[in-house]
Amino acid sequence: MGYDLSRLRQVSDQVAVVGVGDTDYAKDYEAARVARQEGREEIGALDSYGLAALAFRRALADSGLKKEDIDGIAVGGPVVHQRVCEILGINPVWGIEGHQSDILLPLAVQAIASGACTTVALIYGNAQRSMGTRYGGGGIGSDQPTSYYYYHPWGWSSQGAHYAMMFKAHQLMYGSTEEQLGTVSRTIRKHAMLNDNAVMKTPISEDEYNNARYIARPLKIYDYCLVNDGGVAIILTTKERAKDLPKTPVLVSGFGRATAEIGATQLRDRMFDLYHEVLKQSGDQAFAMSQMTTKDVGHFQTYDAFSVHLPINLEGFGFCKPGEGLEYIQDGRIEIGGELPCNTSGGMLSESYMQSWNHQVEAVRQLRHEAGRRQVEDVQTSMFCHHGSGGAFSIMYRRGN
Amino acid sequence: MTERRPNRTLGPDHDTFWAYCNQGEFRLQQCNTCSKIQWPPTPMCNECLSDEFTWTPMSGRATINTYCTFERPYYKECPPPWEAILVELEEGPLFMSNPKGFSVEGKERGTPVKVTFLDCEDDAGPFKLPVFELAD
Ligand SMILES: [Zn+2]
Repeated sequence: MGYDLSRLRQVSDQVAVVGVGDTDYAKDYEAARVARQEGREEIGALDSYGLAALAFRRALADSGLKKEDIDGIAVGGPVVHQRVCEILGINPVWGIEGHQSDILLPLAVQAIASGACTTVALIYGNAQRSMGTRYGGGGIGSDQPTSYYYYHPWGWSSQGAHYAMMFKAHQLMYGSTEEQLGTVSRTIRKHAMLNDNAVMKTPISEDEYNNARYIARPLKIYDYCLVNDGGVAIILTTKERAKDLPKTPVLVSGFGRATAEIGATQLRDRMFDLYHEVLKQSGDQAFAMSQMTTKDVGHFQTYDAFSVHLPINLEGFGFCKPGEGLEYIQDGRIEIGGELPCNTSGGMLSESYMQSWNHQVEAVRQLRHEAGRRQVEDVQTSMFCHHGSGGAFSIMYRRGN
Repeated sequence: MTERRPNRTLGPDHDTFWAYCNQGEFRLQQCNTCSKIQWPPTPMCNECLSDEFTWTPMSGRATINTYCTFERPYYKECPPPWEAILVELEEGPLFMSNPKGFSVEGKERGTPVKVTFLDCEDDAGPFKLPVFELAD
């Protein structure tokens, strides 16, 4: 039962990210803001497919490959696989759609390592701001059996409320404070200020955080991610092919996936355990596969739809003990130049809400040492992690040569 | 006073849950084979795969696990500030609900509460909604 570590290890470091591309998050968001001020509709120039296509073109140029080299395509966001392939003019021999990057990227690695295809483009496009996508209330997730579905008559709604309850549970169990939590959003904003393409680049002072309005108490507006338009593409191929390409390859060293689907609507693993057990299982797999430990992680990219993700992931993946995540992040520890730089491009709280996709791009840029003003000095490894409805996901990257 | 609420989930098994609520009874499905109690309603026991259940009365006693307060509107029927609590029933399951007659602010995990019913209404008609008040 479960994964076979010896076979997983054969896949470790065999597949490389060779191209990344993203869209103009900051420019597009600013255009939407101006439109709102002028009383026009906030519709961007590109829809989800246009954003996906632009990101792909940029990733392809970054990789040095030709369109004809792509034989696998995985798509995420509100775009359909078939139509994306048609727009790109590619008939792939391998493909899948409908997940976040933390699920798709390991699947692509497995497809390449098994010989099902040789070079995969992972593509995401989401014009969520232009489309007026709503998360919560009668919006996304309300019409199917997710953790909202059965609880409408009690007014229960939104992912944010789940994280508000999780942070309240953390407070009730460990005595953590809102002021401590503020360090997450304030630090990640500081990082975004070093990224011209980040949507939010004004600093958040302690006072501004502490006095910000609540959305679902105890979480404030700054604890919530953005909603903006954008696209991301990531190209993977074999380690051998990567040697002939222009950019330093970034090897996928490991990945982990553990689930707590049983009780997902009951919220038991979320609220009683803050997912610590599934996070640990996911981390155990990724660390063992990559033959790394927490001490080897030079750069940490956490899914940050809500600030609460960061302390809970640090606790669950073993960077600190349960309950100590908010103490751990104080005093510059997660800043660039600190012990464990986190979400160095601004994450989803400040760079762009690309639902885990922009995190992979930043990990790659850091490991290629092309992150400019926000470069983590001589960084060799990066870890991405995510927990969400019912599961915990992790990816380990290593700089190739 | 009847409160307007967002629509219930209705259908097989859900209808039975709400029918008991409407009689002022708080009952959940209990597996006839392995005794596991299920919430939300399910077509099959996820412990032993049996599909035979008895709708067993719960004691109504519970403790507060965690909570939050919606400070912006998500449903027109639920104006902010709107408090939600997750309680742990004495029999084990967690139950998402609302506090009645008290505010969650400053409440500790483990605070004892007990079930009561609110007269409510949605698109499908009037119904009784299980909510929780502080236990004596
Ligand atoms: Zn059973």
